[in-house]
Amino acid sequence: MKQITITIDNQKINATEGANLLQVAKDHDIAIPHLCYHKKLSPTGACRLCIVKIEGQRGMVASCAVHVSDGMKVTAFDEELEEARKYLLDYLLSEHNEEYDGTYHDEFRELIYKYGLNNKENRRFPSIWKELGYPADETSPVLAYDAAKCIRCFRCIKGCDEVQGKNVLSFTNRGILSYIIGGFDKWGESECDGCGECIQLCPTGAIVEKPHRESINIENGIKKVRSTCPYCGVGCQLELWVQDGKVVRSNGVEGVSPNDGRLCVKGRFGYDYVSHPDRLTTPLIKKDGKFAEASWDEALDLVARKFGEIKEKYGRKSLAGYASAKTTNEDNYLFMKLVRLVFGNNNVDYCTRLCHASTVTAMLRSLGDGAGSNSIEDYETSDCMLVTGNNMIETHPVTATFVKYAAQRHDAKIIIIDPKWTPLVKDAHIWLQPRLGSDVALLNGMIRVIVKEDLIDREFIEKRVEDGMEAYEALKALVEKYTPEYTEEITGVPAELMQEAARIYAKAERPLIATGMGYSQQVTGTHNVFCLINMMLITGQIGREGAGLNPPRGQNNVQGVSDVGASPFTYPGYISVEDEENRRKVAKVWGVDPDELDGEKGLSTVEIMQAAYDGGIRGMYIMGENPMLTDPNLNHTEEAIKKLEFLVVQDIFHTETTPYADVILPATAFAESEGTYVNSDRRVLRVRKAVDPPGESRQDWEIVAEIARRMGKPLGNYRHESDIWDEIAKTAPIFAGISYDRLEQHGIQWPCPDKGHPGTATLFEERFNTPNGLGKLHPVDYAEQSERASEEYPLILNTGRILYQYHSSTMSRRNKALTDFANDAYVLVHPTDASKFGIADRQKVKIISRRGEIENISVNVSEEVLPGELFMPFHYSEAPVNRLTRDELDPYSKIAPFKLSAVRIEA
Amino acid sequence: MSIKEIIKQFEPEQHNLLHILHALQDANPANYITGEALEETARHLGITKSSVYGVARYYTMFSLEPRGKYIIRVCASPVCELLRANEIIALLEEELKVKTGETTADGMFTLELSECLGQCQEAPSMMINDKVYNSLDRGRIREVLKSYRG
Amino acid sequence: MSIQETRIVLKNIGKIDPYRIEDYINAGGYEGLKKALQMKPVDIIDELMDAGLRGRGGAGFSTGMKQKFTSESCQRCPQRYVVVNADEGEPGTFKDRVIMEQDPHLYLEGTIIAARAIQATKGYIYIRGEYHESIKATQKAIEDAYAAGFLGKDILGSGFDFDVEIKLGAGSYLCGEELTMLESLEGKRGNPRIKPPFPAEKGVFGMPTLVNNVETLANAPLIILHGKDWYRKYGTERSPGTKVFTISGQVNAPGHYEVPFGVSLQQLIDLAGGIRDGKRFKAALLGGAAGTFVDASMLDERMTYDNLREKGATLGSGAVIVMAEGDPVYDILHNCLRFFRHESCGKCVPCRVGTTQLVLQADKLKEGGGDKEALLKQMVRESEIMAGTSLCPLGQSPILPLESAARYFSKELCTTQH
Repeated sequence: MKQITITIDNQKINATEGANLLQVAKDHDIAIPHLCYHKKLSPTGACRLCIVKIEGQRGMVASCAVHVSDGMKVTAFDEELEEARKYLLDYLLSEHNEEYDGTYHDEFRELIYKYGLNNKENRRFPSIWKELGYPADETSPVLAYDAAKCIRCFRCIKGCDEVQGKNVLSFTNRGILSYIIGGFDKWGESECDGCGECIQLCPTGAIVEKPHRESINIENGIKKVRSTCPYCGVGCQLELWVQDGKVVRSNGVEGVSPNDGRLCVKGRFGYDYVSHPDRLTTPLIKKDGKFAEASWDEALDLVARKFGEIKEKYGRKSLAGYASAKTTNEDNYLFMKLVRLVFGNNNVDYCTRLCHASTVTAMLRSLGDGAGSNSIEDYETSDCMLVTGNNMIETHPVTATFVKYAAQRHDAKIIIIDPKWTPLVKDAHIWLQPRLGSDVALLNGMIRVIVKEDLIDREFIEKRVEDGMEAYEALKALVEKYTPEYTEEITGVPAELMQEAARIYAKAERPLIATGMGYSQQVTGTHNVFCLINMMLITGQIGREGAGLNPPRGQNNVQGVSDVGASPFTYPGYISVEDEENRRKVAKVWGVDPDELDGEKGLSTVEIMQAAYDGGIRGMYIMGENPMLTDPNLNHTEEAIKKLEFLVVQDIFHTETTPYADVILPATAFAESEGTYVNSDRRVLRVRKAVDPPGESRQDWEIVAEIARRMGKPLGNYRHESDIWDEIAKTAPIFAGISYDRLEQHGIQWPCPDKGHPGTATLFEERFNTPNGLGKLHPVDYAEQSERASEEYPLILNTGRILYQYHSSTMSRRNKALTDFANDAYVLVHPTDASKFGIADRQKVKIISRRGEIENISVNVSEEVLPGELFMPFHYSEAPVNRLTRDELDPYSKIAPFKLSAVRIEA
Repeated sequence: MSIKEIIKQFEPEQHNLLHILHALQDANPANYITGEALEETARHLGITKSSVYGVARYYTMFSLEPRGKYIIRVCASPVCELLRANEIIALLEEELKVKTGETTADGMFTLELSECLGQCQEAPSMMINDKVYNSLDRGRIREVLKSYRG
Repeated sequence: MSIQETRIVLKNIGKIDPYRIEDYINAGGYEGLKKALQMKPVDIIDELMDAGLRGRGGAGFSTGMKQKFTSESCQRCPQRYVVVNADEGEPGTFKDRVIMEQDPHLYLEGTIIAARAIQATKGYIYIRGEYHESIKATQKAIEDAYAAGFLGKDILGSGFDFDVEIKLGAGSYLCGEELTMLESLEGKRGNPRIKPPFPAEKGVFGMPTLVNNVETLANAPLIILHGKDWYRKYGTERSPGTKVFTISGQVNAPGHYEVPFGVSLQQLIDLAGGIRDGKRFKAALLGGAAGTFVDASMLDERMTYDNLREKGATLGSGAVIVMAEGDPVYDILHNCLRFFRHESCGKCVPCRVGTTQLVLQADKLKEGGGDKEALLKQMVRESEIMAGTSLCPLGQSPILPLESAARYFSKELCTTQH
């Protein structure tokens, strides 16, 4: 980029050639007035306020549409320009309702005052907005639009289109009667999904949030606190507005990764659960089958005594803990420390086992790291995105905005592999729709195309793959039988489509794979990802910016909890529990005898439940998880939990699991907590306390530390969360260079080995993180699923998520904004199956598997699923779909196959 | 042809939107585009509802409300105004017993104004659906209306 | 001195059946194309440039230059387009309609030549939706041209491929503005794009696009066939060739008249049979609503782009709306202002609100009371601000009729008894 010099009002300014003149001026604090321009959006040229004069050009030009060139001489302020600006503002005022209620930042009003037009005598034009009869649209559940407050700057339209990739908004009518619409002039019936990008971009309060509007007054002490979104694993940076001790608004933070101001409907409107009256506010102890309020001392002493007794009676392996993907790294680190040090075993795990464990296992074995290899922003500049089993528009909406941008703005090709339709199909170049459970065959078919058409990267294989071409030959031999015809026979995917997809991926310059639950939550989950990695390695499509493999994480801190070692297999920083040297190192940091630390792998999530059932586990400590809704084969889980002698559940609400607890401990929600999360692209992000916790609830780590202390093994002397973090950094080399002071403005991506290290945007650029630095191919064969459709159970059920609900919905369902959009369980049934089984749309049905049944489920007849397949979201407690799923595990990762259960439907 | 059949004649590309809207309106005896037709159009083109609605509301030839079987568009250009188009409009309002913008009680005619019809060599002018009528005066208008009323 | 018409572009009008391609061919049609297909594209452009052909849509920009820019921009772009601006909507203008209805092959031939010049393989003819006869005649011409091998693959064995289709407008004056037309072509609302980029760089579907007016393209076959020197025999040095004027209003024989650039306004009026009812000339509105009023003092001015510009008037589309003594300038000005209000798309502030406020102020001019001279002056000032700040030509237009009307007819506009 060529650096040039321009002058604005005689001030010399250095700029990059071709940069936007208005932005250059802004960057140098030259406040040229403007309303329609926004850094994130393409210039519109609607408000005309940013007019300037440029030497050698006729008249006045809008600076937002000017690219700077060397020697450009610009006049930004003179009498004529200022007079014109005053006219423009005056024009706008005449069609504008200038009432102001103090609930938003009004950029137009500021200019009105600046140009003295607040004084009506200075105005030239009669006010005409009332006669024009501008309407208001209140039909959206989350926002309201008032055309009389609108200055028609296009920011909302462009934000929706260019930033969010949705293009839901337009104008209606023309001229002075034009105004913004969603749908057919009814926002509530449009495709709007409530992300609120338009609200955040609106300069005049014409589009406003509905929730908490009445309680906001920005001139009356609003506190703004930056934090990280508590929902999915994108890690969006939020600015929480707090008034009277309550969160009343959530905005995206502009100019900061990973979201650059973007949010989804959950991030913007999903904070009400924090102040929900259902919050747990005191410890509860079960007495005679009923919960009674108790003091912290009572509760903590009881917990410490009971755990102590169980350990005494049944040995140190008899206790286990579920850590939480929802809470901070600091909370989880201490939780893990408690299990290892106080319980004295490695029986600590969490929901990752139900989510990306297979992906992580495959990646660890092949690549040496289990985390996403690239930055979220890389999607924006990718030219090919292979999206496998990943409904990212609903599950990672902000990541999806980057993906859509690449497809919509520079023709990047999206290839989707998913048996079920997802909204991203609309932007996809190719959609491969394999039968459930046939992914290994499909990918082997694609690899064979790459082999046959010689689209491999020989140099990459030789230099960076273990056993080089020899390993490749083994893979080649294995995939030989996956001819296009054979692959089509197994998967049902047309051979030509599969071949084209393989070619596009192999030939792309910056291809990213985004793999989701559809690939991981299968008995063959690890195999699926091995196949992806095989294809990636032989084509050399990893190890550089814009190329790699990325599993978007489903919860705010799934990544971090593994990173800080809440795993039965690894210590902080992914070092095996069996690594004695590391155990010594950690023991030293912890100030304990290394022999106190169990060197044997612990039990994983589902194994813990099975052990509880079998009597091996007698006492359990569950922090912020809800296995009674989210574990597979719930009937079995229920029996297991009932067998526990003592169960402690620590949460912010009563859940499906709390009724089984002996003690319930009230913890803090994200907005009441300090600490850090790690998002899907390995970015350590700060979480900050915005409001006080309700009642007596305490932050998780404090409770954990108290239990440890009362069990006679204090975990340490921590005054602040940063003290815990510093200890994490000492135990996990990937975090060694990160401290809170470095996280003030933006996150840092691990590995970050020392204080001077900027963090790592892209993994594996030089070497893989395996012991020998090489990637490893794992040729795997397709095997038929053990669970198959039968006469008795003729349909295959798939499960998953939707945009408006989150996990077991304990949080999301306590936000009116979200439940207004979606609050009802359903099952998708293909029209042919509907007629085959005599089922009508909206009919209530019973669904039965070999393991259980659920009833009163509303049918949604839809072509989004293949014939023979069903889909149900798992969020709803009244439709606990995991009563139907299996706990037959993937042998490598122990993940459960949520995506495939044989069922039948009964009317 | 059904709405779907009309729409399916066009490739699902947004640049066909104006053509589709013309076709839908022309096929409707009440000379307008129905909500159902807008919805189907959006679905066929794979674009959002507002993208269709915003376009339908921008162009003056399209209507989203029912109109008469015949749309009378009187040229309101400076040329026609100079040659007393105002009298023509008043006459039509009187003959049809409607105001400009309205539809006759029998649903036969909707009276509208149009931008310059480009018939200035024989102003004042009007169109009825596809047909142009020039050199209008009282007699000519009565004659033309009569031919439509049958 | 009275003059005769010089029919070059309109030579076939009334003489051939527009629905018969044979008629057109027998009259020497498609010979220009045949010659062009033998030429190198760059030579076609040079020929048009040297002939001095200027855009007949109103702006008068060099057609050759425009084609040169389009042919040279974005060499890696996979596609280039020709768009024919047949969205004739300027009040008082019907020259393109005459060509489209009565000699459609002429401009179609010009379109194919232009495509060859910039090496476009796809063209769109954007015709306003109200022009049913033009659409019908053009559609037939396209079909016949395909059948005769003038369109489609490997045209006349030259190896050059070109397809063309009609796109319909649906009632929007602004879509005659070239960047807005591109939006409309893409199936969007008629909001103008900001420029740069110009269509030559980034036009329809983001590809380099040549946008030419019907009359402009109708000149191309003749220039190619007969050569630039022949062409320059007509008109003036800086405005060579002929212009089709459409003369309307208070003349005895309103209609289309093709004359060389450089004739006077008086000569044009005479050609159209003089003022009706033996009345005296009062004013003319030149170039339509986005044009200028002139009074009798301008009758002897030569009608060229440059001369009129120097005298504070416009030639524009070639519309000449003639007013006789007793005709109210106020009403026609008001009509123009209402027109702009109606056609403003609403995208930019000065045009959206300014066009509305001007109509309100024009109403006040009539209603009486207040200092009307000051009001009129204020209106002109506002139109200047609009012209200086508006995004596209529409908001830059009200100043043309308003300032010129104020210049010549201030007294009339400011008296109460309209």
